[in-house]
Amino acid sequence: MRAWLALGLALALAIVIAAAAGHEWATPGDLLGALAGDNDLRSRLLFEWRIPRVLAAGLVGALLGLGGTIFQGVFRNPLAEPYLLGSAGGAALGATVALLVPLAAPQSLALPLLAFAGAWGATVLVIGISRVSGAVDAAGLLLAGVAVAAILGALRSFVMLALSDETVSLQIVLSWVLGGVQTPTWSLLGLLALMSAACLGLCLMLAGRLDVLGLGETMAGAFGLDVRRFIAAAVLAGSVVVAVAVAFGGLVAFVGLAAPHIARWLVGPLHRPLVPASALVGAIIVVLADAIARAALPPAEIPLGLVTAIAGGPFFILLLARRLRT
Amino acid sequence: MRRRRCLGLLVLAGAGLPARTAAAAPVTVRDAFDRAVSFAAPPQRIVTIFASNTEIVAALGLGQRIVGIEAFTRYPPDVLDRPLVGGRLGFSVDAVVARRPDLVIVTPSRQAANQLIDPMERLGIPIIVLLQRTLAEIMANIRLVGRICGVAERGEAVASRLEARMARVREQVGGLPAPSTIMITGRLGNGLLLVAREGSYTGDAIVRAGGRFGLESRGVLAQISPEAVLNADPDVLLFAGSETGLADLIGRPGWLDLGAVRGKRAHAVSRAELLIPGPRTVDGIERLAGLFHPAVSAR
Repeated sequence: MRAWLALGLALALAIVIAAAAGHEWATPGDLLGALAGDNDLRSRLLFEWRIPRVLAAGLVGALLGLGGTIFQGVFRNPLAEPYLLGSAGGAALGATVALLVPLAAPQSLALPLLAFAGAWGATVLVIGISRVSGAVDAAGLLLAGVAVAAILGALRSFVMLALSDETVSLQIVLSWVLGGVQTPTWSLLGLLALMSAACLGLCLMLAGRLDVLGLGETMAGAFGLDVRRFIAAAVLAGSVVVAVAVAFGGLVAFVGLAAPHIARWLVGPLHRPLVPASALVGAIIVVLADAIARAALPPAEIPLGLVTAIAGGPFFILLLARRLRT
Repeated sequence: MRRRRCLGLLVLAGAGLPARTAAAAPVTVRDAFDRAVSFAAPPQRIVTIFASNTEIVAALGLGQRIVGIEAFTRYPPDVLDRPLVGGRLGFSVDAVVARRPDLVIVTPSRQAANQLIDPMERLGIPIIVLLQRTLAEIMANIRLVGRICGVAERGEAVASRLEARMARVREQVGGLPAPSTIMITGRLGNGLLLVAREGSYTGDAIVRAGGRFGLESRGVLAQISPEAVLNADPDVLLFAGSETGLADLIGRPGWLDLGAVRGKRAHAVSRAELLIPGPRTVDGIERLAGLFHPAVSAR
């Protein structure tokens, strides 16, 4: 119970700090004024831009935490992360097409849709390949994932080289790939919140069977779990979660790997508490990292994925070292 | 030298006129993304993203109205003290809004348009996007910014003077044989080269100065192998950068055999004039014409 209270408080604190952080720091008074509907430019900036972004960052982080938990549970491997089965490569290809190819749809619509389609499509492709080759187990999926990721990465590089010129710079693609939360409108944020809640429900539904799978494939089979089927279903569910995260946040490194571990230290290895705890930890990490990204090097904004990896990496190593010592 | 002074005078002339801002009618324009943007009054606080847009506003004599620039702006010197709103890592919505602009001018390069249009529209700050794939588009941009800023006549005057200078170059080089030209705009770590291509303002400048492309534009890649340059053996080799950069490039194996190198027709050209799509591109065209047709510049 204490762990949950601490996580909840930490998230609330992180959100307030992040809402205040920026090129010009906002005071609590500014924030209250913005929420109360003041109409000056600064309040509008906070209400229309910064606060939705902070909340979106939290949801993206929560989704990455969920995705990481599912993938680590399915592959029973502490190094598994949400982008394992080609979703990063697929999302990046989709986003690159949306950013560089002139499309009929506006970019604000095409970018998340194509990133989502790429992330999910890549994982579906990986599952399809391992089915056709008859290797629907963890190892077969991983190998197919590596191959698909390589192909998609090469395709993306070609699209980038072929379609960039003096007016369309590659930096736009690079910056997307390095991660960055898109600031949604309030209605889009509502949609993201609904989708995140649905993803949380989906992951909770898998929780019990992930615990069974954790006993090993043979043992899980003896407990009556159709292992191959469950692995495919869980991976598909996980990839939907990751695809939603990618559509709104680009490729944010490290969070999906670290959040489940930190959550496990706090609430233990059983998936029913682990799933929501990972979501909370992921949310806290991304909200804080996004605040650093916006405020650390004004006037520039550092790509979010760089912050999560550079700031989060050493922190994670420290936790890991302390954990191993005790 | 005479040409540079010419532009300098132009800017001074522009600055000398009283800015006609009072009682201007509301203006609605369409920008390069076909967005309709309305101005109730001429903007007084302008954030210009990218050197070219800063130079256009300054050429209209409105440098005083610029309240924010980005880190790669080097010209004109008297606007360089303005606060920065972004740089290589992109552009900060916070920093732009902190300048309280009533006009933001961007170009789709880097993440600018992508990062700024949506937030500025949501916050009700007018933002326009300019494209510059040809010299004609650059001239249209000058007129457009002039109209928006309530100095339409000045925009017309600046643009038509630049057009007159280009017309003079066209007259001078018209009928002369166009030397085949390759302009190298960058060198990649792996030895590949970036070249100016058709369909860009730099390519347009080469053609307007009386040159022609020494490389057939095959395919879509801007980067080419040095071998392609050696194969094409252009009449004129241009390197956008410093003399030392050029010397380093043509000191590589094989390059000394190029006709352009042996015939002393390999030149370093100004990046500011040919890789920033602003008024100074016309200076670049005049200089290129002199390199392509030495007899013209002697005349």
